[in-house]
Amino acid sequence: MSYGRGGRRRYREDYDDRRREIHETPEQKIKSVIIKFGEVDPVAELPRVEKQIRDHVPLNIPNLSEAFRLSVTEQPYKIPYYAALIRLLHEQPDYSDGTSLGRLLLEDFWKGFQSYLDKLAWRETRLCIQFFAHLTMAKVISPDSMIALLQAFTSVLDEFGVSLGRAKRAAMCAAEGLMFAGPILKFHSTSSVTDMINALQTYNDTMNSPKWLVQSTVSLYCDNPFNEHADELLDSLLNSLKALNDSDFSETSNIIPQPYSDYPPLDPSLSQFNLPSVLVPPEVIELDGLSSNPGEDIQLKKEEWPEYHIHFFDNEISPDPNTPAGYVVRTSLLDLIDIFEVNRKECARLLLEYPKWNLPGTFKPKPGAPVEMEPVPGKDWQLESTILETILGAYLILPEATHKSLYYISLITELCKLSPSTVGPALGKSIRKVYTLLSDGLDVDAARRFADWFAVHMSNFNFQWVWREWLGDLALPVQHPKRTFMRRAIEFEIRLAYHERILKTLPEQMQSPDMYIISEQAPGPDFEYDDPGHPYHAAAQTVLNLFRGRSKAEDVISSLDGVKRELENVDDPGMNVDAAVRFITMQSLLHIGSRSFSHLLNAIERYLPLLRNLASAGMSSTGGSGNYEAKMDILTACASFWKQSRQMISIVFDKLMQYQIVDPTDVVAWVFLQGSGLGDPHEIRAPSSLSAFQWDLLKGALDKANGRVLIAKRKVAALRKEDDDTRARAKATANTMEVDADAKPEESPTVDNPALSTALKAFSTLTQEQKAVLSRTLEGFAAYLAPSASDHHANPATRVVITGEGWNNRADWGRDEWAAWETWGWYRQFCRAYSPYLRNYSNTLSTVSFSRFEGSTDPAAELIRRTWNVATGQDA
Amino acid sequence: MAHVVAPLDQPSNYKDSQARIDRLKQVDILSKSTTLYIGNLSFYTTEEQIYELFTKCASPEDGGGIKRIIMGLDRNTRTPCGFCFVEYYTHAEALACMRYISGSKLDERVIRCDLDLGYKEGRQFGRGKSGGQVRDEHRQDYDPGRGGWGAQAQRMEIERRREAEERYADVQEGPGAVATGGGDWKEAENNVVEVKLKRPRSLDDEGDNMRMGHRTRLDEDFDGERM
Repeated sequence: MSYGRGGRRRYREDYDDRRREIHETPEQKIKSVIIKFGEVDPVAELPRVEKQIRDHVPLNIPNLSEAFRLSVTEQPYKIPYYAALIRLLHEQPDYSDGTSLGRLLLEDFWKGFQSYLDKLAWRETRLCIQFFAHLTMAKVISPDSMIALLQAFTSVLDEFGVSLGRAKRAAMCAAEGLMFAGPILKFHSTSSVTDMINALQTYNDTMNSPKWLVQSTVSLYCDNPFNEHADELLDSLLNSLKALNDSDFSETSNIIPQPYSDYPPLDPSLSQFNLPSVLVPPEVIELDGLSSNPGEDIQLKKEEWPEYHIHFFDNEISPDPNTPAGYVVRTSLLDLIDIFEVNRKECARLLLEYPKWNLPGTFKPKPGAPVEMEPVPGKDWQLESTILETILGAYLILPEATHKSLYYISLITELCKLSPSTVGPALGKSIRKVYTLLSDGLDVDAARRFADWFAVHMSNFNFQWVWREWLGDLALPVQHPKRTFMRRAIEFEIRLAYHERILKTLPEQMQSPDMYIISEQAPGPDFEYDDPGHPYHAAAQTVLNLFRGRSKAEDVISSLDGVKRELENVDDPGMNVDAAVRFITMQSLLHIGSRSFSHLLNAIERYLPLLRNLASAGMSSTGGSGNYEAKMDILTACASFWKQSRQMISIVFDKLMQYQIVDPTDVVAWVFLQGSGLGDPHEIRAPSSLSAFQWDLLKGALDKANGRVLIAKRKVAALRKEDDDTRARAKATANTMEVDADAKPEESPTVDNPALSTALKAFSTLTQEQKAVLSRTLEGFAAYLAPSASDHHANPATRVVITGEGWNNRADWGRDEWAAWETWGWYRQFCRAYSPYLRNYSNTLSTVSFSRFEGSTDPAAELIRRTWNVATGQDA
Repeated sequence: MAHVVAPLDQPSNYKDSQARIDRLKQVDILSKSTTLYIGNLSFYTTEEQIYELFTKCASPEDGGGIKRIIMGLDRNTRTPCGFCFVEYYTHAEALACMRYISGSKLDERVIRCDLDLGYKEGRQFGRGKSGGQVRDEHRQDYDPGRGGWGAQAQRMEIERRREAEERYADVQEGPGAVATGGGDWKEAENNVVEVKLKRPRSLDDEGDNMRMGHRTRLDEDFDGERM
């Protein structure tokens, strides 16, 4: 087909042929032979690839070993076969000094490993260790040196103040090495193996407090994490390792392919390869916020937490990660998900092809495929269910997933597109399983992400969901997590589509507004002064006409006095004239900007001086910190105008912060002032509680404040570097050239760059704002969750829901209990997600917010403090 | 990581055909770009729908977020014509869209994303002859989300209709208005064959059926999934 001139562009969504034909050199060719090796039948291809490598002249060891390094770290599913290939290249002495080609390759490979380790590239390091473990089993690497390598990693666990993330990754390196090379290592030195396992166990035993804060299903009342529906990564690792150890690693051959296992014994004249000894380098610690070297990544290091992966299928359907075989399947899939994040389409394909890299019989054969062997007892799992459980497990990790939510979501979409008939049913089952967990305490942030995934997924598949099957749950209280989920999922679906479209996907009973599943009207603006009967109608028309006539901001400001006088004549006893003017002006402005996001931006930008004037209560039109009440009025006016479209409330607040009309602290203060389910119908609002929507607003404000600090920090670092460079250049010039009057360096080294001092000042202001926003949030939570006796708006259930007895009676919980429970959940999320920031100010913040809890035995106060202490690393 | 597969966040062969910047400079700009061109939108998709999806690739904690959305408009009618620009504050956010959004659906259409050199005045308007996008000039299919037939096809259809209407403008009524085409062989006689005049067949009768028969080319069908 021809598009005429337009034909040179392509409009299909498949971009796979972007790769251009490149002429390959012989070096590139042999490299790609190694990288692509095994795609059809690795065992059959081994001798051919071995020969190709041997025949390739001239010999270029670094080129070959790089191919191995890329293959091992980017295609870990092929590691056993790459080990076999090295073993084949190590069959006989190839050179006069008695070394083999395999040995030369390994020596060069080691340099690559060392550089991964120096960079603390943990995934690559760990995959290389798997490779070494296979080579130990293949008798290429000496067991002594392998044990020493693994010990270097277990010794990390004994470092003073080792971070959780570092310890977790080092533990994985050591434990996986033990799992794969265990049969030989234990035979060689039982005590070393036992000691390492004990070291791992000892470390893991200290992890109970952090585990309690990030478990997938919440138990507010008990001190120890309970793991009915989720498995913690290190727990799984240890359970699997100990199970293998109990059988003296006789099971290792049942969990991973060992293609080299039946090779004839090696030529005794060949010596084994001894891995050089290593030290795991320490982490670079940033002492204060600005000490980092210019050019370095100055992003705040994310706090590392134990990793709970939810596990919702029976062990007959998907493997139990606490067993050796299950652990291997799950971590292999997780590695694929992680490595192929750059190309979700390839990732989906490789995930569905995974069974060919594991042992035969691990997964059920594809429907219709010939059954080649009897199912292996205890295995025979369902591939698609296992993949989905693994992706969702990674997606729902708390406090946040490694990658953006949308990655996991679009990866699942690709899987469904690749194999709809097999992935579709597994997907439906997964949704139902996670939905069931909502009743059993699924963490609030996990529940929110579940709704997000559900909506985006449905948006990719024609919004087809069998809502009918959840009709029975309409009998649950309105704030029950299942009801909340349905409401939220529908709201998100509408945002991605439109009201009518989603309404017609619902069964009739759910369409009724009394069910609080879907709003009666499509989301839209609500200009309350439109009604000619409204007492402020005339005043509002005056303002609106100024905006419509595109009057200048200054003219509107001066006209507002007239509006104020006009309002003073209105008979409204409860009226606060200043507030009324702000409401009318704000809503009129939003009204002219209500047609689209761009219209909103245009309206705001055109009237910035007016907005600043409003926010400062008429004191200024150039900015400044503004007037608290005025800013609260502005936010209330916006929320009221967009009460039927919560998405727009978020957008307007975001842009008001962006244009610095309000500060993030104002938004936080405002959210806690509202006291109940913003934008929800009155009937379902519980007192003093936070819903996911309010949390989104808080998060928007917190992220804005933190993001600004980061930008300011980057700017300072860049200017410092510039400054240093200038000085260095000046110095160099001064040293190499004769200094005469004309060639004087422009900047004298003693005078600081004015841009830098401005940037430093901005940085300090923004840091103050960051501290204020964190502090205001903490205060807000403390007031909601442990209200004082005199608080009339308190949620009566906030102390009930945190007891074991309370939780066990949850079948009788009503609106207030569930809302209180959700608020506790958002407090936990606040503490763990923002802990890197909170730690910076932990003393001041807790002193201020917790002072009234001094000496208190209020269980709510204690839980607030305990959560805080765990998050900021202060628990004993 | 990019040695084994091609990452999805590389610039494609999409370009601004009117950009007057040399190739190397373009590559450099794209490697820092915070702007995306979004294509194959429905004419009915709103900025808020776009915002909802694209905000999922935003990183506000990193100083990012959606800066603005510029809706592509038909030059003549000032109505959306199926593309837009989404501008973020950071490059990483734009890359995330390339990896996670491009090729997925918005408003039930598979949309595509491409790194863009950045919005310039005037680029919000379609460059096709008819005011919309060039691709909608030449499109041969019927796409209900993009105004039906492509503009040229629409013009062609209007032309065909006009011709059809004019063609029969001279139609006459009464006996003898319609030719017979000749009858069976007969003995030479003076019989005149009469045919009743019926309503001339309208082209519309067939046109509608034809439209129904067409499938939307870009709207892939993933209905196979069973849940």
